Amino acid sequence: MGIGSRALRNISRRKVRALLVIIALGFALSIMISIPAGVLANEKTANAVASNLSSLINQTGATINQTLTQIDCSLAPNFSGFGFTSPSGTTTSGGYNGRGSGGSTSGGSGFTPGQFGGGTVGGYFGGGAFNGGQANPMNESLYSDINTNIAGVAAVEPVLQASEGNNVTRNLNFNGYTRTITTLDVKYTIEGVPLTASLVDNYPILPTNITAGSNLQAGESGDVLLSENNSAYFGVGVGDSVTILGQSFTVVGIYSPSSVADTQMLYMNLSDAQAITDNTGYITSLTVFAQNSGDVSTVASAISALHPELTVTTAQDRENALSTEESGYTTALASANASDSTTNSTAIEEIVVVVLATSLIVLFVMLYTVKERTKEIGTLKAIGFSNSAVMSQFMLEGILLSILAGVVGIAIGSVAAPTISSILLPSVGVGARLPAGATIISGTTRFGGLAVATLTPELVLLGFGVAILLGTLGSLYPAWRAAKIRPAEAMRYE
Amino acid sequence: MSNTVLQSGKPVLKLENLSKTYTLGKHDVPALSNLNLTVNAGEFVAIMGPSGSGKTTLLNVIGCIDKPTRGKVLLDGIDATALPENQLYRIRREKMGFIFQTFNLLPYLNARENVELPMEGQGKSKSEQRKRASELLAMVGLSGREEHRPQRLSAGEQQRVAIARALANNPAIILADEPTGNLDSQNKQGIIKLLANLNLTQGTTIIMVTHDSQAARNTERMLLLKDGKIVKEMKGLHANKKNQTCPHCGSSIQVTDDTCPVCKKPLYASDELFAS
Repeated sequence: MGIGSRALRNISRRKVRALLVIIALGFALSIMISIPAGVLANEKTANAVASNLSSLINQTGATINQTLTQIDCSLAPNFSGFGFTSPSGTTTSGGYNGRGSGGSTSGGSGFTPGQFGGGTVGGYFGGGAFNGGQANPMNESLYSDINTNIAGVAAVEPVLQASEGNNVTRNLNFNGYTRTITTLDVKYTIEGVPLTASLVDNYPILPTNITAGSNLQAGESGDVLLSENNSAYFGVGVGDSVTILGQSFTVVGIYSPSSVADTQMLYMNLSDAQAITDNTGYITSLTVFAQNSGDVSTVASAISALHPELTVTTAQDRENALSTEESGYTTALASANASDSTTNSTAIEEIVVVVLATSLIVLFVMLYTVKERTKEIGTLKAIGFSNSAVMSQFMLEGILLSILAGVVGIAIGSVAAPTISSILLPSVGVGARLPAGATIISGTTRFGGLAVATLTPELVLLGFGVAILLGTLGSLYPAWRAAKIRPAEAMRYE
Repeated sequence: MSNTVLQSGKPVLKLENLSKTYTLGKHDVPALSNLNLTVNAGEFVAIMGPSGSGKTTLLNVIGCIDKPTRGKVLLDGIDATALPENQLYRIRREKMGFIFQTFNLLPYLNARENVELPMEGQGKSKSEQRKRASELLAMVGLSGREEHRPQRLSAGEQQRVAIARALANNPAIILADEPTGNLDSQNKQGIIKLLANLNLTQGTTIIMVTHDSQAARNTERMLLLKDGKIVKEMKGLHANKKNQTCPHCGSSIQVTDDTCPVCKKPLYASDELFAS
């Protein structure tokens, strides 16, 4: 019978004690692996947020430069000014998306921006996140009105945008403000654009990054251009037919979205879009192209003067909005980083405490065991066990105990790591410092999502490593004490 | 085999001018003073003496648990006093077999595993260790009880396991510390007979420290220790067995006889014998 099986038998000899020690150690170890898990999750989220935000800002900036002559006109949406408007200019802004079914969706009425502390926080929810908002279609006649009556206009693009999906009720919690809202969980967004030769040839009304098939052509009808996401959602490819709102279309091409706002957009002829969405004669926005960039503000003022009900947004407005967003994000990231460093120092303090506590548990348990077994140790030495044999016996017992605790700790950690880390590290898993609302509402991780601690294989290995290390450290002194016991104790010790 | 009487062989333990002094505060307390003793291979020796006579110290020194202040301990030709502390475990493992008053079996190991313990790291395979342990247990009369843990064995049986364990590595000397101290008279007799038989049939050298005059009477040489010196040496009943003569009537006896075939008197000292 070897030293290992003897160690196991000794552990199982005192079952209740072994169990208590293993559970206590296991719990300590689960804390020890949950904390780095939380820190890693935090960092991962912060990095994702930072990279998403910076790419969003870059994309928006690029779009603004490309579309200096572009003026967006729409009727004020229900949530105008709440979300950030139109990251990609031509495509979307705060409240457009929510045509909803039958226009009955009341999405978040009474949800006032003031409660969320304005600009920065509002920005987290932006980009069409509140899809439940009422679309306010406008009469198509506005198109010819602006086209003919405003000087300096090169072209006008009437657009009908409608999102389709299911209504979903969600509970929001943001810094203590709670609210139940009904939002549209968008599956795809129909973008109806006029496929006239002059617009298609001269203006950026269609995506340019075609990855399969071809782009829509002037005068085409009954055809559709899908984003990669759409293609996956419908399960169709180039040349297939796809049924949208009861109407069959042919997929002519697939494009790769150039910004996060485009991912669910499918493009078709304006009249097709109006027909299938029961919006014949209506559009949701107008994009006006000025003849030259110097005329933009004059043209914008003229449009506002002619139609005061319209919200008119120029490249300059979008730039201003962007820089507001940018400073908001910068503040948010700075506070995220500050919170990260607080989290890290908290984590280090907690780990030190847990390591100390755990080694002390092993130390005292093993010291007690050694004392309790003085006579046995004396006997072993009297019958010829060397100091090192005795020492390894006790070291092995301590290490085995710790390994068993490691198994328990990893089991606890794999279930409870998110809970443990959010209790011990205030910023993990709460999302208060992250634009978590965006994640909850849009159901995507475009802002990085919640920081949820998960155990990686590395952390599991780390857990076992730490367990073995602590077992070794904690039983070193007791084992040395055991080795120093004189064999004479075997004779007289009771 | 029953008629084989082992003659005393060459010295297996030699104590030369052995002194041991403990220092208590400013006072030197002598425990052993200039003690000389030779034990030959195959002898069965009892060391007796009142408390404080140096029995324990002597036992510790012979068992390489304690070092003498002066003098030499020669064990099977090896000078144990010349060995560094961290080598003494080898002497204990290879030359010594310990038997304790409280048996000192490991409670979480069964009888066989307890007997296997000293064989660990001695170059024997697991199956060899197992085989040897079973043989030794059979020798001490515990066949079929190999898998029993100590708490399922009687006190006498536990001491038998301890004796088997002491024999595991074929030691030069069995060192027994009050081996009958925790046993009732029936088990005491059984253990004494077992040790005597091992001595007769296996030629095992046994040095037994005891308070128990009955147990001592059944050895071959009785040494009385007083103030750290051997003050008296007597012949025990076991010597008569080896000589094959009855101590009571002088008739010829067999080593296996429990009573004299002629005068019918017991050849082992028993409580009755001492009472009379």
